[in-house]
Amino acid sequence: MKILVVEDQRRLGVLLKQGLTEAGYTVSHAGSCSAARDALCESSYGAIVLDLGLPDGDGIELLQQWRKSGFNEPVIILSARDTLQDRIKGLDVGADDYLPKPFSMQELLARLRSLLRRQSSVKDTVLEHRGIRVDLVGRTVHFNGAPVDLTSREFALFEIFMQNAGRILTRSLICETVWSSPYEVDANLLDVYMSKLRAKFEPTDGKPLFKTVRGVGYQLQ
Amino acid sequence: MKSIGARLALWYAAAATATLAVLFVAGYYLLESYLIHGLDLLNESEFNQIKAHLGPDYQALSPAVINDRIRETTEFASVLFYINIHGRDIGTIFYSSNLRGAEIPDIKGKRKYDIEFGTAGLLRVAEFILPPYDVIIATPEKQLEGVMEGYAEVCAALLAIMLGLSVAIGFGLSRVALQPVRLIRETASRIGANNLNERIPVPSSNDEISHLALLLNAMFDRLETSFKHVQRFAADASHELKTPLSLIRLHAEKLLASGSLRGEGEEEILTVLEEVTRLNSTIDELLFLSRAEGRSITLDLARHDPAALLANFSIDAQVLAESRGLHFSYSHEGSGNAIYEPRWLRRVLLNLVSNAVNASPPGGRIRMRSSITESLWRVSLEDEGPGVPAADRKRIFDRFVRLQSDSGAGHQGSGLGLAICRGIIELHHGQLYAEAGTGERGLRVVFELPAQPAGVQAAPLQNPIETVA
Repeated sequence: MKILVVEDQRRLGVLLKQGLTEAGYTVSHAGSCSAARDALCESSYGAIVLDLGLPDGDGIELLQQWRKSGFNEPVIILSARDTLQDRIKGLDVGADDYLPKPFSMQELLARLRSLLRRQSSVKDTVLEHRGIRVDLVGRTVHFNGAPVDLTSREFALFEIFMQNAGRILTRSLICETVWSSPYEVDANLLDVYMSKLRAKFEPTDGKPLFKTVRGVGYQLQ
Repeated sequence: MKSIGARLALWYAAAATATLAVLFVAGYYLLESYLIHGLDLLNESEFNQIKAHLGPDYQALSPAVINDRIRETTEFASVLFYINIHGRDIGTIFYSSNLRGAEIPDIKGKRKYDIEFGTAGLLRVAEFILPPYDVIIATPEKQLEGVMEGYAEVCAALLAIMLGLSVAIGFGLSRVALQPVRLIRETASRIGANNLNERIPVPSSNDEISHLALLLNAMFDRLETSFKHVQRFAADASHELKTPLSLIRLHAEKLLASGSLRGEGEEEILTVLEEVTRLNSTIDELLFLSRAEGRSITLDLARHDPAALLANFSIDAQVLAESRGLHFSYSHEGSGNAIYEPRWLRRVLLNLVSNAVNASPPGGRIRMRSSITESLWRVSLEDEGPGVPAADRKRIFDRFVRLQSDSGAGHQGSGLGLAICRGIIELHHGQLYAEAGTGERGLRVVFELPAQPAGVQAAPLQNPIETVA
């Protein structure tokens, strides 16, 4: 899968390229609007990671031009501008996701995966992991064959982990999905819900189901 | 009186009517003195007639002859005139018959005067000297009084008409005169955060109104500049702080992922990551406050029934409280709508509950009470913590002021939570304040938002995306 990273900050660009390459993507890097335009004309990409503040223009305008001329590659905007208006504006002109700086590599990867999964439009309705079975349509959860009672909040939270089993999920990503609040204000609450989930799923093999990744978030192991 | 237009119209009407009234009063006195002068002339001509009838040798005539001669001339005019002649030393020698023997009172030193005389009413008296006699001739002023009464009635009617007419004219004039002001008001009220570049049209006339429009436009220029300044600062600060934070974060993550760290080193990098997260949320909160104070945050305001928001929120509040062994209770009274954006209010509620949870003693009770009355949606959150002294209750909403109860516990907020809550509530045109709890201890934090009780026909929102500016 080829990814185009449009980021003018050189060191950040290098880090992004490294991180994405390690995750198995092929990465091209463009440092300006014009370089990005050229890159997109020369080759097609699975996804584009776009910074907004570019030396020769605004990422928003660049994206607008692309969408007008029919390029429909999925785009994740990466920006220091993170007010709601900025997000709405970004999504309105055709971005598929909006990730505020500073971001975690894990979060960027998770969002990219979810974006690409959306593209492929194949979605499982039953998720399974370590003896847990989640039916997204019937909204039931079974653990080692026995039904587990989850409140609707707990279910929403658990579903994200099951969709991203084995991956580290950042707090902001989780909060944004469950409470539609991108703010860390729900962080305390998240910890409480996580401890409730932990209490409901006690694995028999001794290896804890959820791992706390300090400074980042949680991981369903 | 609320409208300048109405005031101007009334002032105009009062001034016009008062002027006319003064003119009418002046006219009254002028007319009266003119008519009285006419009576004086009548008296004089009657005297001249008597004098002519008596002839040049009247001094030689006996009083009886004089009496006869005068009576000849005056009897037919006796309705009009009262005549009285007396001579020095000899007393009165003639009474006109309508006097019936009474004498017209004489006012010494005055030749012409008015006097009240029995049934005849007011008389205009003139005294003439026909040596050795004094001839006193008087004419009733009854007719004059009638004329003056008529004049006053006509004047009163005219004044009433004038009053009505001038009010109408005044309203018309003030409407025309205030039209540009109305235009200015409409434009100015339309200018908000989203269209700060709009300006009031300046009338071509070089008058007070165009000067006012120019002044207001200059003020809007300054407003726009400082508004843009806030926005630019926020954007710059975001960019300049967050790109390096991204770098720190990504480098730290890379270090962790490389697996080259052992024990202490890993612990320290994890601390760095936590600090990056904390620093980032502090930057976000400060930027939010600066935007909120600069009124450059656009809310997606709509009418909601708070019951749904509160019910949804109380699920989370319950979980949060129970996780710390606390009791959470919630009540909502009345029904109606308030205008707000749910996610912001959720943030306020969660912040207030978090504070209450952190301040509560073990097993403590947290009460959330909500009520909608005629015009107010009021939500209070009360804990059983140590409370805040009355003197500090205003201060806790300032930036970086931490509640006492926070400092001891493990929880350490940024100190911006309540300032942000206040910012959000103020953006919603509401108010946030703290008061003492109902018990001996505890703190109650209350926010109030404008509301409408159920059943009131809701006025449509002018613009669902309303700018608070």
